[in-house]
Amino acid sequence: MNTKLYRFLVLVVLAVLSYGTYMALVTAPTEETMGDAQRIFYYHVPAAVTAYTMFFINFVASILYLWKRSRVADTLAHACAEVGLVFATVVLITGPIWAHFAWGSWWAWDMRLTTFLVLWLLYLSYLVLRQSAEPGTSSVLASALAVIAFLDVPFNYLANRLFSTIHPPPVTLTAPMMKITLSVNMLAFMAFGALIAWFRYELGKTEHSITKLHLKKAAGGAGFAVLLPALFLFQVSDSPLSEEMRTAHARSHMMGGYIATWAIYIGYLLVLAMRVRRLQQEGAELLGK
Amino acid sequence: MNPPSITRLILANLSKDLRLEWRSRDVFNSMLFFALLVVVIFSFAFEPTTEEARRMTGGLFWVAFLFSTIVALNQSWARELRNGVLDAYRASPAASESLFFGKCFGNFIFVAMLECLMVPLFVLFYNLSAVGSLRQLAVVLLLGTWALVVNGTFFSAMSIRTRNRELMLPLLLLPVAIPAVVSMVKATTGILTGEFSPGAHIKFLAAYCVVFTAACFMLFDLVLNAE
Repeated sequence: MNTKLYRFLVLVVLAVLSYGTYMALVTAPTEETMGDAQRIFYYHVPAAVTAYTMFFINFVASILYLWKRSRVADTLAHACAEVGLVFATVVLITGPIWAHFAWGSWWAWDMRLTTFLVLWLLYLSYLVLRQSAEPGTSSVLASALAVIAFLDVPFNYLANRLFSTIHPPPVTLTAPMMKITLSVNMLAFMAFGALIAWFRYELGKTEHSITKLHLKKAAGGAGFAVLLPALFLFQVSDSPLSEEMRTAHARSHMMGGYIATWAIYIGYLLVLAMRVRRLQQEGAELLGK
Repeated sequence: MNPPSITRLILANLSKDLRLEWRSRDVFNSMLFFALLVVVIFSFAFEPTTEEARRMTGGLFWVAFLFSTIVALNQSWARELRNGVLDAYRASPAASESLFFGKCFGNFIFVAMLECLMVPLFVLFYNLSAVGSLRQLAVVLLLGTWALVVNGTFFSAMSIRTRNRELMLPLLLLPVAIPAVVSMVKATTGILTGEFSPGAHIKFLAAYCVVFTAACFMLFDLVLNAE
């Protein structure tokens, strides 16, 4: 792992994410009907796109593994499935928070919602299989499941097509500033996802071959990655949002969605950090003997 | 001597499974009893009237079969583990696809027999009479059963390679089977109530069967020989 490059990229992503968040929470114009609750959109949609991208990479890497048996493809597939699941969880949590404000109910058995929920279940079962398969066989079995799971997605969409959809169409943005805000956030979250996936990939590689050298580098990256989202919570608390709030209701939904989003991201990064520690201990024990 | 054709190998596997089942009857009896219990418990839990029952039965029916199919499928590969039969399959030069399809047809026969026994019970308990055509219902039953069995056979072959064998099958099968279950239930409800045409759902189910049979066929060899 190129630690210098990684740290540089972390700084770049940190900057873009802060700018994107600033735009989403402060400079983007407030939507007329939904007020501040509409701002959930700026972290809901990028998370969904990132999750879909991760699952697609997982599918391609799984096929590559079945074909060439390359260890790199397998590790990449595992990393992408896990990171994709984290982003999908964010989508499934911020979505209902928005829906509670806009529709008055947390959940509706709507085409898009159902499809996404099933997608989430599919990749959860992928990770469960990874965990419980016998060590030697898990890569092959999981890759086969990944292929089947990806084939299932279009069927899912078609099967639920007959539910009438109340989910808003993909782009409901009117003001040009809103579109720019969405693009910046899209870029920021995609880069953020790619960065975590890269880190998770390195971690997977390290798990395969525990050496002290790898571990040192991985640990440095983890410290940085954990710091990153923590900064945002700090930024929110003293930003000049309160003046523009029209209703406390819209505000509480927006904040709730925001806090839930980052709780998940930070939670996942903490899990990764714990994994790094465990690997360090294992590595130290191995080297001690 | 020529190697035996794939059809003969499939038939050999199938007849072996049927003979084993005929002698022991352990899968079929437990599956039948389980499905019976599910039907009875559902009817206690919902106490449906005739009009409600028409709407609900599609769902109850397929959920009962889904669960009983899982009971049967877990047994179908677990018995191959005893005496290292599965390792013998791996070592044999016979195409692994013949093993897969032999198992699929065997499981299909078990589940289809179960359905033939359970449909009258459903009619009895829920006072059913179909508004739509019975021929369409038969097509839905055939396609739906195949969709469950082909995926189920594949995933149970996968789940016996994991540490918590029996537990793993529903965790893998249910998410993948959701689109099929949705269309089976809708088609069945459409036929029973006559409120909408089940044509689109039947076509969808047929497409699902074709795609997943092909996918399982191509991936089975990898799963069987996973190292």
